[in-house]
Amino acid sequence: MLEAIDLTKKYGDFTALKSLNLTIKEGEIFCLLGANGAGKSTTINLFLNFIDATHGKAMINNMDVAMHVKETKQLLSYIPENLMLYKNLTGLENLHFFCGLGGGHQNKSELEELLIQSGLQKDFTRKRVSSYSKGMRQKVGIALARARGAKVLLLDEPTSGLDPKASNEFSELLINMKEKGVTTLMATHDLFRAKDTGTHIGIMKEGVLLEKFESKDVSFQDLEKMYLKHMHN
Amino acid sequence: MNAVLLIAKKEIQIALRKKLIAALAIVIMGLLSIALYTGYVVYNQQRAIIEQAKQENRTEWLEQGDKHPHIAAHYGTFVFKPKTILSLFDFGLDTYTGTSVYLEAHYQHEFMFRPAQDHSSMIRFGELSAAMVFQILIPLLIIFLAFTAFTEERENGTLKLLISQGVSYSSIIKGKIVAYISILLAIVIPFFVIAFILSTVITDSGSIPDVGLRVLFLLIVYAVYLLIFVAFSVWVSMQSSTGRNALLTLLTCWILFTIIIPKTTANFGESFYPLPSMKIYRETIQKDIREGLGGKNPKIAREQQLKKEYLQNYKVDSIHKLPLNFEGIRMQAGEDYGNKVYDIHWKRLIDIFNNQNRISSLSSFITPYLAIRNISMGLAATDLNTSIHFQKITENYRRELIRKMNLDMAQNSKYGEFYEYKADKNLWKTVKDFHYKTMSAYEILRQYLIELLSLCCWGLVIFFLLHYSSHKKRPVL
Repeated sequence: MLEAIDLTKKYGDFTALKSLNLTIKEGEIFCLLGANGAGKSTTINLFLNFIDATHGKAMINNMDVAMHVKETKQLLSYIPENLMLYKNLTGLENLHFFCGLGGGHQNKSELEELLIQSGLQKDFTRKRVSSYSKGMRQKVGIALARARGAKVLLLDEPTSGLDPKASNEFSELLINMKEKGVTTLMATHDLFRAKDTGTHIGIMKEGVLLEKFESKDVSFQDLEKMYLKHMHN
Repeated sequence: MNAVLLIAKKEIQIALRKKLIAALAIVIMGLLSIALYTGYVVYNQQRAIIEQAKQENRTEWLEQGDKHPHIAAHYGTFVFKPKTILSLFDFGLDTYTGTSVYLEAHYQHEFMFRPAQDHSSMIRFGELSAAMVFQILIPLLIIFLAFTAFTEERENGTLKLLISQGVSYSSIIKGKIVAYISILLAIVIPFFVIAFILSTVITDSGSIPDVGLRVLFLLIVYAVYLLIFVAFSVWVSMQSSTGRNALLTLLTCWILFTIIIPKTTANFGESFYPLPSMKIYRETIQKDIREGLGGKNPKIAREQQLKKEYLQNYKVDSIHKLPLNFEGIRMQAGEDYGNKVYDIHWKRLIDIFNNQNRISSLSSFITPYLAIRNISMGLAATDLNTSIHFQKITENYRRELIRKMNLDMAQNSKYGEFYEYKADKNLWKTVKDFHYKTMSAYEILRQYLIELLSLCCWGLVIFFLLHYSSHKKRPVL
């Protein structure tokens, strides 16, 4: 579903991402671990076609994102570290707007139901987003992905700054979507969340994917050791 | 609903919830109402005064009693520049050029020369008119409406989310422009409805025969002008890194466009093409009449030459033997020469005005405000060109009136018979009542081709910039 082929991004002499080759199959949750500047967000941005690759390709459903901008965007949903919505609109209005942009035709009551299923309290669906916590905004993001019927989720540190309960709720939603066949690429610092949620994990450093493996093959302790070893080398 | 309309709808929802925008919109609507009301009051007052004065003046002319035609020529008459219905919208230079002129023999009383005494009329503005609200204040509202068009999306991170939905920059730009225009329409439509209702209850004197066409042109040029401001504000917002930068840039442009450049060009105009003082202007005309143009043909010589020609033509040796009153012929000849001198000096003065105006016209390539200001005054028939046109018509009327008086005197009285001969109402009636019709809208627009071209250029350049920026791929980070 997601494929990076020799994907490289350079800013002048600085290489933000070096020859990334990666395949994520349908229904997998691939968690990219790494320190700041490791190239995780660059990878996400390349799949989103927010930036141009210096070399290589980012493919979604066998389509080059740079060549099939509209088609690939229709398949994906993106939740950044801090999902920003329009503060002067309610959560429901935001969802209705973004769904409409993606071609969704759900009416407001269906979307409200979706917001509630995504964990947003009913009282808040019709309140302005300016009163929302970060966790609530992320739930709107999940509701948006669900409403749009996204096949691919691109998440850039979505649980950063969330309290453990909200973070756990978010993981449950991701697992729930995985079961429906949604493919996820998630950049995160959170080893525990990666092990708990991801089906696959990759460790990045200085623009290079050093290691990738299935999360079921490692314990949390081993993952931590592995991660720290790479970070200290 | 397509992306453009969705974005427009969202933008309108957000703008309506912003208190500043709502407050500004209320202020603009209030100012438009005040401008319309004051315009209506002033229009009605002046129209009533002018109509009354016109009737009284005509009655006075017809009922002046029996008298010598030359005395009647000096008794003179007033003519009035009709207040046009469009002056409700744009007062233009009406306040400065005056609305009446006294016509009599030998003298061209110039109401429109007043600016020559002080300043060019271009720099004397300041009254609250609906045109001023449209030209200056609505662009300010547009700035407050649109400066965050892209910066807020970028600063808040919503731009990333928008682009990640597969929305193009082009759709975002179009959506925002549609939204801002819709908001503006909501603000100005009530004004146009009220203006339309008022126009149906007002009976215009018919001085503007093609008022409907002019209104249509006004709507088009103002729509283009405001669209330029909307598109320009969106483009600046797109290019600015923060909302603060965008606002500062736009406010600076607004001050430059509406205050500094117009004032500077007016001052440049005066410096490069200074107007003569009223005193010198009049003295020069009188000197040229007295001494002849270039000092070569003094009045006495001209009159002697005329006398000689008439004596030769009629083969008589004394003006007393002429079959007509030579005094009338002499007066008309003096009038004709005076007119010739006046035309030369008048043309020089108009050339100076035109040169000053050309600077203003060309400066419209630097600021669209000058383009709309000049076109708007033109279409409202309150500009300098209409004033000059009115002056020409009144001068022709004056010349015809004086010619009739002099010819009557020449044909019906004898030389030396000044107090004995008296003309009556039948002669006064031959002088038709003065009616003024403005130039056609097309003629007016022909005089503002530079301004029209500049508006087109502004529109094209800004839409090219927007098109270029929307297609130039930019990192959304």
